Amino acid sequence: MTPQTTFEREPARRVFASELRETRYQFKDGDDEKSPTYVILPTGIRSNRIFIVGTLTEKQRQGDQNIFYRGRVVDPTGTFFVMAGSYQPEAMQQLARIEAPAFVAVVGKPNLYTTPDGTCLVSVRVESISVVDRETRDLWVLDTARETLDRLEAFGTTEDSRKAQEEYGTQPAIYRKIVYDALSQVQL
Amino acid sequence: MNLSEVTERISRKLEAKGAQPDRQKIESRLRRLVEEFGVNVAEAERTVTGDLAREYKVTGVGGTSTELRPISEIVPGEWVTVEGKIIALTPSLSPSIAQSGIVADSSGAIRFVTWTRANAPAMEYGHWYRIESAVVDEYKGAPNLKIHSGTTISRMEKDIPLLPSITPIAELKPGVGSVRAKVVQDWEVSHERMLQTGLLGDETGTIKFVIWNDDGKEKLDLDAVYNIFYATVDEYNGRLSLTLNTAMYITDEGDIEVGRSETDAQGALVHIAPGSGLIKRCPVEGCNRTLSRQNYCPVHEIQPNFRYDLRLKAVLDDGIRARNVLMQRELVERLAGITLAEAVSIAESNPLGMDEIFYRIRNAVLGRYYTCSGSEFGGRLLASSCTPVAFKPEELAALLNRAGGEPA
Repeated sequence: MTPQTTFEREPARRVFASELRETRYQFKDGDDEKSPTYVILPTGIRSNRIFIVGTLTEKQRQGDQNIFYRGRVVDPTGTFFVMAGSYQPEAMQQLARIEAPAFVAVVGKPNLYTTPDGTCLVSVRVESISVVDRETRDLWVLDTARETLDRLEAFGTTEDSRKAQEEYGTQPAIYRKIVYDALSQVQL
Repeated sequence: MNLSEVTERISRKLEAKGAQPDRQKIESRLRRLVEEFGVNVAEAERTVTGDLAREYKVTGVGGTSTELRPISEIVPGEWVTVEGKIIALTPSLSPSIAQSGIVADSSGAIRFVTWTRANAPAMEYGHWYRIESAVVDEYKGAPNLKIHSGTTISRMEKDIPLLPSITPIAELKPGVGSVRAKVVQDWEVSHERMLQTGLLGDETGTIKFVIWNDDGKEKLDLDAVYNIFYATVDEYNGRLSLTLNTAMYITDEGDIEVGRSETDAQGALVHIAPGSGLIKRCPVEGCNRTLSRQNYCPVHEIQPNFRYDLRLKAVLDDGIRARNVLMQRELVERLAGITLAEAVSIAESNPLGMDEIFYRIRNAVLGRYYTCSGSEFGGRLLASSCTPVAFKPEELAALLNRAGGEPA
């Protein structure tokens, strides 16, 4: 009897903007056309989905034939660039309805692309976006701080973190400070 | 058969007896017999096992299989002799199996199979037999006694009453088990051959049970407590279930406080699946299936007199694991702040209809943090409670300490 492998949904990693901004390394797990694409986050974990909560500060509609929306979502450490195009009509319409500024929760896929002048940019392709409140934002900062610290503690012991070390030369102390600074901005 | 497998089996047998055999030595002896002397593997196994048993001065392995063993102590890989009572016979699944069932002694019970090729005398239900030189192996995770052509079966003129020991549900293993449990749920049968299915529980947990249609088998009563002796414990996809066709069950006095094997999960709701929100259910007694938009039930066809319900199929994600959760009406009403009656009247007066309710509920819960608890079933958490996570300043303080940097 062949064991049944049930589909496991990829978890949405918690990551601060300043860490995602440094992400450069992307790979495909498997040779199949449908194999998932992952990025390796500098603190050492593969991810093909992230969960972020922050303030949507700006939203723009772009394109004529292929309409898509771009937005900036700000967390205590920096900015996420999010986008939703006509391939994700649900997400695009959700984003279209939200007026900046607003606290938003975004689930999406990290995407790397290189501009013609050679700089590498990371954007988040939105799967879903919804308006939340300040408390959810604060909870997210705690959650993301905890998971980032967990990753830093396991740094060097996992295959993904060794890859991260090789690709980014990650200095855990820097990320620890980012976490600390993010937490200090949460108001009691 | 491969030699390292045999080596493993021999050393396991010896280790079970407290010896510490050297695996390399076992393998080289086997290899010598098989490769140099052309001995067949089964014979080589016997020889090596017997030799080593003498060397380590242990008994009860290999050639000493005529020594009587309590059923509860035998493990896969052994040749054994047992004396037991046939307490169940089950229909044979294949022409190569002459008989199968359960044999029990005062220490425990084990499933057995008699190969047709063994030409063994048929054993009768309720009688005691001495079964010499049978082989124990593992079938679908459960130990199984194999009666083959080298096994001697002799009927015994004794009848000792057996008092099976009760196992807590949480400690059941594949094989045979006896439980004292309460019928906590009675489910709709999913197959015409099935008499009854549902959930049994005791203080330690719950387990699914099945009774197949069979002469003389009776249903269990909901909420009643039973002593169930010698049920078959099967494992499928990592989950255990009890089949009661081999079992004797009698009602018992008293009640059981059923222990809930509750799973807790905290995380953010990152996805609200289609089929959430306001749905229509089939009104046919015991059906309750979800109808399509055109009121079509997969079994009972078009059902215009459906009833409405609210539910939420979502993914709760803690960053490490994404779990499917299913919430029923009461929880959805509380989380989304909308009652079923309100949802129905909105849906009936709104151009978007039922979609409007889906969006409202989604907007209320998507991206927020919740703690859910409930029972996990088929990879899905059936939430019995779900509460929003509250911000705790002490967690912030603890994390600041953990991050331990200098203030910016």
